[in-house]
Parts: sequence; C-alpha cells; structure tokens
Amino acid sequence: MGYINAIIILGGINVIAALGVAILTGYTGLFSIGHAGFMALGGYMCAIMVMEFNVPFAIALLIGGTFAGLCSFIIGYPAFRSRLRGDYFAIATLGFSEAIRLVLNNTYEVVGGAFGYMGMSTLTTLPVILIAVALALYFAHMFVTSQYGKNCIAVSQDEVAAQMMGVNLLRTKLIALFISAFYAGVAGGLLGFYMAYLSPSFFSITRSSDLLAAVVFGGIQSLIGPFITAFVLIAVPELLRFFAEWRLVVYGLLFVVVMLFRPQGLLGYVEMNFAFARRWWSKLTAKKDTSAKGGAA
Amino acid sequence: MELFFQQIVSGISIGAVYSLLAVGYALVYSVYNFTNWAFDAFMAFGAFMAFYAISLFFMPFWAAALISIVLTIVLSVGSERLAYRPLRLRKAPRLFMMISAMGANLMIVNLLNLIFGGSFRRFPVDAAKPFFIGNVSIGRMDLLAGAISFAILALLWWFLYRTKPGLGVRASSIDIMTASLMGVNNDAVAFIIFAVTGALSSVAGVFYGIKYAVFPYMGLVTIKAMIASIVGGLGSLPGAVVGSLILGVLETLVAGYISSTYRDLFSFLFLVIILLFFPNGLMGKSGDEKL
Repeated sequence: MGYINAIIILGGINVIAALGVAILTGYTGLFSIGHAGFMALGGYMCAIMVMEFNVPFAIALLIGGTFAGLCSFIIGYPAFRSRLRGDYFAIATLGFSEAIRLVLNNTYEVVGGAFGYMGMSTLTTLPVILIAVALALYFAHMFVTSQYGKNCIAVSQDEVAAQMMGVNLLRTKLIALFISAFYAGVAGGLLGFYMAYLSPSFFSITRSSDLLAAVVFGGIQSLIGPFITAFVLIAVPELLRFFAEWRLVVYGLLFVVVMLFRPQGLLGYVEMNFAFARRWWSKLTAKKDTSAKGGAA
Repeated sequence: MELFFQQIVSGISIGAVYSLLAVGYALVYSVYNFTNWAFDAFMAFGAFMAFYAISLFFMPFWAAALISIVLTIVLSVGSERLAYRPLRLRKAPRLFMMISAMGANLMIVNLLNLIFGGSFRRFPVDAAKPFFIGNVSIGRMDLLAGAISFAILALLWWFLYRTKPGLGVRASSIDIMTASLMGVNNDAVAFIIFAVTGALSSVAGVFYGIKYAVFPYMGLVTIKAMIASIVGGLGSLPGAVVGSLILGVLETLVAGYISSTYRDLFSFLFLVIILLFFPNGLMGKSGDEKL
C-alpha cells in the first residue's frame, strides 16, 4: 500500500508541475526546458519558510510558488521584451535552471549545498496531494478558459494577429510564465516535504525533460492530456524497472515520432470537460427530486 | 600581468571553439528560423567517435578527427532527413521543429550514456609542454584549437561568400521560398547546411574534449554557444564569432580573478544584461516580425 501511495504522490507532484508547463508550452506556445529551476526555487523557499519561520505548510507552499513566479520575471522580462519567439526564452530557461542548481550546490550556509536541505518532516500525505491536484486542475481550468487564457491561445496561434486584436504580448506571456512557475514552485514544495529533504540533484535537466515530455505527449492546448501523461510517465518507470534507464532514449525517439505523426499529442486540443458529469447529476437529481444540499463538485 | 595575458589567450582559444558551435547555430537559424537543439548531441557524438578511434584503433590524431567529422556529418544529415525535413515540408509550426530537435538530442545523448557509460575520459592526446612567449605560457592544444577554429571559420567565409553553393545558402537565408523559385535546390541547401554544421560540431567536440574531458553530457556546453550566438544576434555569423570571443574571454577572466565555481553564472548574467540593453544582440537584425 505504501508503494502505491508513493507512486500516487510522486505522480501527483509531477502532474502539478506538468500543468504549469502545459499552461506555458501548450497554451501560450512558449517552450521551457528549465522548469526544474522553478521547482527548486519554490521547494527551497517553502522548506525554509516551514523550517526556519514556522509558517504553516499550506501558506508556505503558496509563498514558495509566488517566489518562483516572481523569480521567473528575471528571465521572462528580458527574453519576452526582445520579441523573438521561443528560442531566446528556451535557452534562458535552461541557463536559469542550471544557474540555480549551481548556486544551490555551492551555498552551504542555509540550504546545505550539495548535501541538500535536511531534517524536514513528511507533510505531503495522500489527502494533501489529492486536494492539491484537484485545486491545481481547477485553477488551471479556470485560467485557460478565462480571458487571460484566451489571450494566451491567441499568442500561441499568431503573435502579430493577436497584437492587432489588442492583446498585450509582454503582459500575456509574463502572466502565463508567472502562473506556470507558480505551479512548478508549489510542486517543488510538495516534493521536498514528501522526500523529507531537498537536494539540488532533484532538479536536474532530466526533470525538466520529463515535464516537457508529459506536455508533448499529452497534447498541445489540453490540460487533461498532460494530466494523464504526467501521471503515467511517473508510474510506468516505477512499475517497469528495466525500462527506467532507457526511459530518456525512448522519450527522445517518441518526441520525434509524435511530432511527425501526431503533432497535437495524445489529447491535443481536447478540453477537459465535465459536461457528462453534470448530465449524470441532473439525471440523478431529476429522478429523486431531492433538494441536493451537498452540492456538485 | 603575465597571468592576465595568459587568461586572454586561453579565453580566445576557448572562444574560438565556442564560435564553431555558435556559427553552426547561426547558420541553421538564419535559414530555417529554428535552433538546432540536437547540436549538443552531435558535439558529444563527434568527441566520442574521435576518442574511440584513438583509444581502440590507435589512429593518429588527424585520422581520428577526420573519421569523427565524417560520422558526425552522417548523423547530422540523417537527423535532418528523418526529424526535420518532413516537418519543414509540412510547414509545421516552429514549436514542433524545436520539440523534434529536442527529442533527437535527448535520444542521442542518452544513447551515448547507455552505450559508453557516463564516466569522464581524458582525451588520449599529448597536450603537455606549453611553450613560452616571453613569460606567457601557451598550451599547445590551446593554440592548435584556436588556429584550426579560425582557419575553419575563414574557410566557411570563403565558401559562403565566394562560391556558387554558398550564394545559394545566403539566398535561402534571406527568403527560402524566393530562393527556391529562382532555382536554388532547397534539399541541396539543407544538405550543405547540416553537413557543414555537423562538421563544425564534431571539431568543436574534439577540441573541447581535449581541453576538458569526454563524457556524454559534455554537450551541455552548447548553452554557452547559444548564449554567444544570442549575444552576437541570432542568425548573424559574424555576430556569432564576436559573441563567442567575448564570452570566452569573459569566462576565463571571471574564472581567473573572481570565482571558477560561479563562472557559468556570470555567462548567464551576461546574457540577461545583453538581452536587456541590446534586445537583438550586438549584430542581429531587428527581430520584430513584420507582415
């Protein structure tokens, strides 16, 4: 049972981070290969808040996320201002995450350097992760269906056309980046308080590739696609141990194959939707004709 | 003062190696408007091929380098055929090209890691005996790397500006559609570009392997080359060379006088500062898209 628990919790953490990447890469069309850096920022900030300042876990998670979001402007502003799409930004994210790892690895004062930040307790339990994933999915859904989300989609489709329709490119991209980094930061905090310690090696380029893989396979402009694949990509290497070391080779091959044959990904452009649940619910309530006090989720 | 000159020479030599990679990025970017992320894998592949040609088959250095160049060209052109060309013909969005390139990179690097193992290998070349100009000592390999890199860049310049196929490449970099209407063979241009960039990355991989070590993730240094090509202005070849030399010298000076641990942090800060004050790089064209 503990084993299944571990897979669900690690999968859930990956899902939250992947939803952040989905907002940035899937919806806004910006390519990040350094989200592990934001996870590290959020994770360490959250850990420091809880351990040094006795901040409650939930609030510390939000602080960690916000901190990661604010730090994302360091690369977001110069890269987006130059108005060249994609490439600058992707390189900047990669450089940023490597820079953060370098600093964490060599700062021994508070964060413990290469040994990691130790002595944390396990606060991320199954109920916590389920609530966190549900909230993350709900807010991501609200975001992408809001006006801001529509701006993001417009930017990903055609920047020039979006600008002509009055979309502020810089602002839209920065908002998407902030939210995306926020998600990564919260995921980092959850990861730290599940593993009970944080080490810079958690946040290597491999983790960024994993997150990107989840979004590429799951599908562009979809939340439910990356949601499923982010979970599957954690569970499969766990269940098939022999596959673990070949994982990245296979991901690489699949990246190319997916782009060649199904570039929209598994569930590209498929929006998550609860219409079927609402229909069931209305059928149920219509038959029984009770005053549904509990309220639908 | 000797130390300072030594740093400058060493910086120019590593900058020359960066410039091979940066020019490769710039060349692909100028024609196809996307960054060839698989470059980092080509570089590691080239270094590994040369390493094994010497250590397993006891080839002389020049023969090993030649074999590595040929094999890397095959890999580079092959990856263009398999991973990029179908997307290009379909006029797929750039995001897809980037993901495809990223996938090729992920696959090749991790294959190298699985097949050869992740250990650091010393390149089996005798790089000892520096020679002296006054009191400034210069590593022989530093000098060789710098000299060969500049020779290759000169050759590339001659090819692009003085030959007919070079004219085709330059025409394609201005507008690939119009160039093909004027009778430039698009596929031939793609072949030339990926063959040239494959050769460049292989040479850079060999020199970098000699200076530091040969290992599967050595290609991570291509971040520096990307930074250099952005500093110089994406898509500009002279810009890529200038950016690389500035970055190489800056890095060795930081490593020598401030902190060798935080060397990479400074290169990254440099990128952010350049992007803030020169959004198009030092020599780049305006990046604004126009209708």
